[in-house]
Order: sequence, then structure tokens, then C-alpha cells
Amino acid sequence: MKINAKTVMRGVAEGEALVSQMAISFTGGMDPDTGIIREPGHDLEGQSVAGKILVFPAGKGSTTGSWQYYAAFKRGSAPKGIINRKAEGVVAISAIITGTPMVHELDQDPLAVIETGDFIRIDADNGVVEIEKR
Amino acid sequence: MELTTEQKAMLDGEKGKGARKAMEILVAYGNVYDTGRMVPVTSVHIAGNFPVMMDEGIDWLEDLARDETRVRTYTTKNPEMFDFDQADELRIPMVFQVRQKRIHEALKSLGVTLTYSCHHYLVGNVPRFGDHIAWASSGSQVFANSVIGARSNRDGDHAALAAAIVGAIPEWGLHLKENRKGEFIVDVSRLDLDSYGPADYKALGWLIGKNMGTRVPVFVHLPPDMHIEEIKGLLYTLTVTGATGLVHLVGITPEAETLEAAFQGSPAPSPEITPTQKDVDEAYLDISSSSDDNVDMVIFGCPQCSIQEIQEIADLLGDRKVHADTRLWICTSAWVKTLCRRMGLLDRIHSAGARVVADIGAADGPHLYLKEQGVRVIAINSARGSYYAHNIFGMDTWFGSTRECVDSAVSGKWEGRR
Repeated sequence: MKINAKTVMRGVAEGEALVSQMAISFTGGMDPDTGIIREPGHDLEGQSVAGKILVFPAGKGSTTGSWQYYAAFKRGSAPKGIINRKAEGVVAISAIITGTPMVHELDQDPLAVIETGDFIRIDADNGVVEIEKR
Repeated sequence: MELTTEQKAMLDGEKGKGARKAMEILVAYGNVYDTGRMVPVTSVHIAGNFPVMMDEGIDWLEDLARDETRVRTYTTKNPEMFDFDQADELRIPMVFQVRQKRIHEALKSLGVTLTYSCHHYLVGNVPRFGDHIAWASSGSQVFANSVIGARSNRDGDHAALAAAIVGAIPEWGLHLKENRKGEFIVDVSRLDLDSYGPADYKALGWLIGKNMGTRVPVFVHLPPDMHIEEIKGLLYTLTVTGATGLVHLVGITPEAETLEAAFQGSPAPSPEITPTQKDVDEAYLDISSSSDDNVDMVIFGCPQCSIQEIQEIADLLGDRKVHADTRLWICTSAWVKTLCRRMGLLDRIHSAGARVVADIGAADGPHLYLKEQGVRVIAINSARGSYYAHNIFGMDTWFGSTRECVDSAVSGKWEGRR
């Protein structure tokens, strides 16, 4: 399945999807050493975003989140690519400063059509997301 | 996005690597939100310190500062981890001293004004009504939009620093008048606000923030003589549990002289939230995260204490002494600390066994080393400070009024609501 999307940061990334229905805060909400989501009660609590195509609605919380994301990226603990329903400033800037391919505003709701474990290819140069169901 | 000749030159690398990086960030940022152009900014404030930046962030900042990159717009800086003058007295580990020094030197080289304050609007960075600004510090950012009527988005440090270097920022979100309309009404007429102090307004903010998300709330029936500390208490807490950049306080916010003005003329819908005192009481208790009676430390200053707040703390202490097993810190800016010394407050506070510490905020900076020094349970009169100390640094926190916190410092036990 191919879905058109709007580019936040250019580039191409492919890998396994990790899907959250909840907003994510990189400051406090994610361990930059491991990429593990540590916010109590979060639907990804205890799971690592490292090397995944991370799919979630939007960012939230402290505007310092782009520092924590950058540290995670440098430590090899960041996602390979990001898909948001609608990009909020902190996540957009995180993708931009790390060169992480990222798209938002897909023609279909990504949280409805993508499941954890699906194989995803983000072509942010052309604004296309390819989904292979697992 | 439409760029000026000079902005194009920066993007092409003709004004150095730092300016090119800043333009690349702003162009990508603008394109995400279909922005047509950049608007000049008159004021920038940046926030990151070592606990959030980590070593990688310092490398990034130093890299930006290389090649003689300078800010073009007046830029101030949020608190750090400690005051260099007190590094030995506060037993700051060398590992943190080295890192803070690197951040300090990089910011100095960039031309940032080193205020180390989160009440920068009290000590030299005051925008005018309608000014476009980039303030990366969600509490003061909502203050600028809602009390001064300046225009800032919820920009993070990287966007704000880029704006400082370029002197402009993409015109989207709250920079545009049509996005500054109120979206829903909060009616506080069921609360007895005559009996309210700053801590009560913080509990109210905690409650409403949870129900608002990123929308712009419009508060009606607030007392027109609401004190600035009460306004700060409400606004700074709303951006902890919620993520709005602008709050209309009808009769107080310059763009909300009336309810109709807050909604920019469109018909005002009926109130969506009408909180009761029971709701606020529950929120008040929800802010605390501790269950241990013994208080290791009472810490004031999130945001940093004003001179009036420090005067109040000194008066509440009176002739009493801080308990031998408890510490009391008052975090503020270097300017206000100077005022304290001049007014004799510093001596009074020291003789009670408490400390006034400059360049620090009570939410984040000091907790890294305080934890290493055995501080586990803190009492604080800031809902924002309680949230960050608990969620980022794992401190157990008690939240209450200034009086309850001072009493707890004297007895060493939590004396507030539970």
C-alpha cells in the first residue's frame, strides 16, 4: 500500500514500524541512552524506539525535547524514521537537526492503517509512505 | 518560502557555516507549516542546560559557535546548574563544572546575553505588545503571549537559536492574528477567588491544563486586580499539564479586553469548563508525588523568585531557624540576589540557615548534584517545579503554599496538605 504524505525532513528510511496511539515527550518521556519510552502509563512504556519507524500522533511536553532527541540520535538510540499525524514543533525540529526522514499529514490516518511490526518505507524526498503488512 | 536577498545569501553559505545551518533549520521548519515568509524577531530567549543538552548537545552548540557565528537579535539565557561564584560552597562536582563552563563559553562567543534567568522579562528582556519573538521556555513564552501580547510559538532551543542568528523566524502559528483566537471558555465564577493565593491558582492551572491540550483557553470571571504572582502561577502551570502557547484572561490579556475580543468577534460559545472547589482541591493534592513525612530540602524558585517573593519568605521565617536535617534554598537571578544583599535580606536569610542561590531554577539544573548529595524528598511551592523534579530527576515532591513550605523547612516535616 502506498500513501501520500507531506515532508517534514527529506530522506529515505525503511524498517519495522513501532506504533503508539499517544503523544510522546522526548524530555522525561524517553531514555536517550537506550531509546526506551519511560513515561509511566504510556502505551510504549518499556519499549525502545531505536532503529524503528516510529509512528505516533504528535509531540508534547518540554520544548527542550530536541536536545534529548539529538543525544539519543548520537548514541544510536533514535528511530530511523518518523511518521506523525500532525507534526508539532519539537518533533519537527528534532528530525530536522538529525536529518531523520519524517513525514506528516498522510492521506489516510497512519495510526489506523499502520500496525507495529509492519515493514515501512518512508520516501520523504517524494512524499510517499509504503506499507507492507507483516 | 519567500526569502530576502540576505537570507538567501545566508542559506548559500556566504555568511558562514553557522548562519547557513540556522537558515537550513528555519527553512525546513517553515516548510512544515506552509509558511509564506519570515518575520523579523526583536527578542530571543533560549533554555537548554546540561541536564537536557547532555554532552552531545554541548558539541552541537560549540559546532554552531565556530566560524565566528553571532546572534543578530538580543538573546537571553535561562538558568544553569549553579552560580560559578558558589561552585565550591555548593560542592559542585568537577564533571558538571567543566560542562557548564563549555556551555558558558560557547554562548558568550555567540553573543548571547548571559542572564541565566527565567524571569528575563524582569531583568532586561522585555518585548512590546505585538512584537514577534522566539522564546524557548514554555512558561515565559505563554507569559509573553498572554500578559505582554508579544507573539511567540512554542519554539524549542534549536529554532530559537537559529532565529537569533538569522534575526527572523517563519511566520506561522501564533505569529498570525487569526491563530490567536480563543477556542473555549473556562468560567471560574463558582470558585471563591477572594480567598485564593498563588498556590491555589497553580492547582487551578494543573486542573485546566489537563483538559485543554494545545487549544487556546479563555478564562472569564477572574478578579481584575489579580496579582502578577497569581497570574504567573496560573499560566506557568497550564503549560505543564497542557501545551498551549496563549491563554486569554479576559480583562487582563491585552488582546482580551472583552470576551468578544478574545474570540475576535465571533459569537462566544457557552463555557466548556466550570470548575468547582472540589475539582481544584483534588488537583492540589495530585501535584505532590511524595508520601514520606521527612523533608530533605525546601526549594523555592520555579520560575526564579522575584524580590517580593524573597521578602515574603524572609518575613515568614522571622526569627526561626531551618531544621538541622533540612535545607532551604531560594533560587533567583544574579540581579535579585544583588538586591537581597543591598536590602539586608541575604544576611537575614543566611542567619536562619537558608541560602539564596543565583543563576539556578528550582525545576531542573541543581537536581543532578542534589541527588548525589542525598536529597530525595523536596517541598516546593511550584507545581511546575514539582512535576519536572519528579519526572526528570525522580525526586519525591510535596506541593504547597509558600507558608506551608517555610513551616516545613523549620520543622523538617511536611506541614502542608496531603
